[in-house]
Amino acid sequence: MTNCLSLNLGPQHPSTHGVLRLLLKLDGEKILSCEPDIGYLHRGMEKMAEKMSYIQYLPLVDRIDYLAGFFYSELFCRTVENALEIELPDKVRAIRVMLLELNRISSHLLWIGAFLMDLGAVSPFFYAFREREMILRYFEKLTGQRMMYNYFVFGGVRKDIEFLEDVEEILSILPEKLDDYEKIITDNPIFIMRTKGKGILEAKTALNYAITGVNLRASGVDYDYRHNDPLYKGFDFRAVVMDGKDSWTRYKARILEIKESMNIVHQALVYLKEGGKLEQKLINPLNLKLPEGDYFQEIDAPRGTACCYIKSTGEDKPYRLKWRTGSYYSVNLLKKLLKGEYLNDAIAIAGSLDIILPEADK
Amino acid sequence: MNWNEFEKIFDDCELVGSKIVIKSNLSGVIDFVLKEYPYDMLKEIIASDKGDEGVELTYHLYSVDDEEDLFISITVKDEIESVTNFFKSAEADECEIYDLFGIKFIGNENLKRLYMPEGWQGHPLKKDYKETDQRLEWND
Repeated sequence: MTNCLSLNLGPQHPSTHGVLRLLLKLDGEKILSCEPDIGYLHRGMEKMAEKMSYIQYLPLVDRIDYLAGFFYSELFCRTVENALEIELPDKVRAIRVMLLELNRISSHLLWIGAFLMDLGAVSPFFYAFREREMILRYFEKLTGQRMMYNYFVFGGVRKDIEFLEDVEEILSILPEKLDDYEKIITDNPIFIMRTKGKGILEAKTALNYAITGVNLRASGVDYDYRHNDPLYKGFDFRAVVMDGKDSWTRYKARILEIKESMNIVHQALVYLKEGGKLEQKLINPLNLKLPEGDYFQEIDAPRGTACCYIKSTGEDKPYRLKWRTGSYYSVNLLKKLLKGEYLNDAIAIAGSLDIILPEADK
Repeated sequence: MNWNEFEKIFDDCELVGSKIVIKSNLSGVIDFVLKEYPYDMLKEIIASDKGDEGVELTYHLYSVDDEEDLFISITVKDEIESVTNFFKSAEADECEIYDLFGIKFIGNENLKRLYMPEGWQGHPLKKDYKETDQRLEWND
């Protein structure tokens, strides 16, 4: 009988994006059990919503996942729009879809850099950040913010879209850079050894653990809410579904998803370049009261399906607001996925799930 | 989901909007739903405080093949059976609800304070929660 060693991974470990503590029980280098401990970044997003009016709460929702702020803004705005039965005009939809997909690209680029850094490769981090910077610069020009945009409002957007030539430039540069990444990373023998066949996630397990988004699609399940989403109506794209189930497939699926997002951005860009007047269905946010009832909306965010549920009693504040975030369930999956693996693979596997802790902690 | 068929088997349940409201026998209902229909994911459990009535738990199921959502809701006072034997993801949801609403899930052995520190008084998302913890006093 060997002695069992307890090891604290985190909360300040550089590979745990945000502050995640994993309590590992080790036999030599083999992980016997893993107990994730979260809550270090808990800000009480749901509690705060009950004390604020809808427009006061709007700037806060970007901060749930600071790498994909547009998605949570969009989700909250859409839930309120559902309650008020507002149907978005085509130009507003095109603006929102373009910004969401650019945001998805920037989020995936950060992941590629950070994941490779987890595996010990430093240069891809700089390359990925260089390309991500172009997108953030564009967001800054448009909204005034690099990360917390606060650009979507109930029934429309804060101001008309501008600087479309920047988006064109991003679209012309990115494909070439992605090919460069693939040359450096995809067939790199060290990268393949550390990711191929590691962290196998069967489709059945993924569904049972409520894993969504790219992680689920890389296990061979075709579930992409964008296809049922009225926001994406009229856009032509396909879901990236791969059947490899391992860390390498999750990496490859994200690369392909960036390409698919570029395709969507291109379609939106062609529409927006035609010009056309921006018609919005803005509502007066002051003293905004939602009719009594339960409202629900779902969106496909970069880290899995995100849902927003609002229960209103007809007051100017929500009675109850609940967020569903993808990362929260991915953290729970670590218990199962890390069991029986070696310690040096633990970081690679946890990294491949793209966990962002502020999103998990809410 | 065929509501008429469902109604024949389980009495004391009703359809409110798109939500099935049941009074008891949660695991029986979920067992039946999983056997008869291809629901394969428990997306989330939504808890909402209803004051004196207790806490309303809404189980949000999803079927990938049918692309269909199903909401089953039950109101509980302070404890209910866990659904972790059907869905492992419930471990996470139930832990969060235990922390924020104080509902005990019988059969889930991993319940602990998740966001709040160990030994924190009260459950913050309950409507009768008062911030009395001494650790907040420095803030005034």
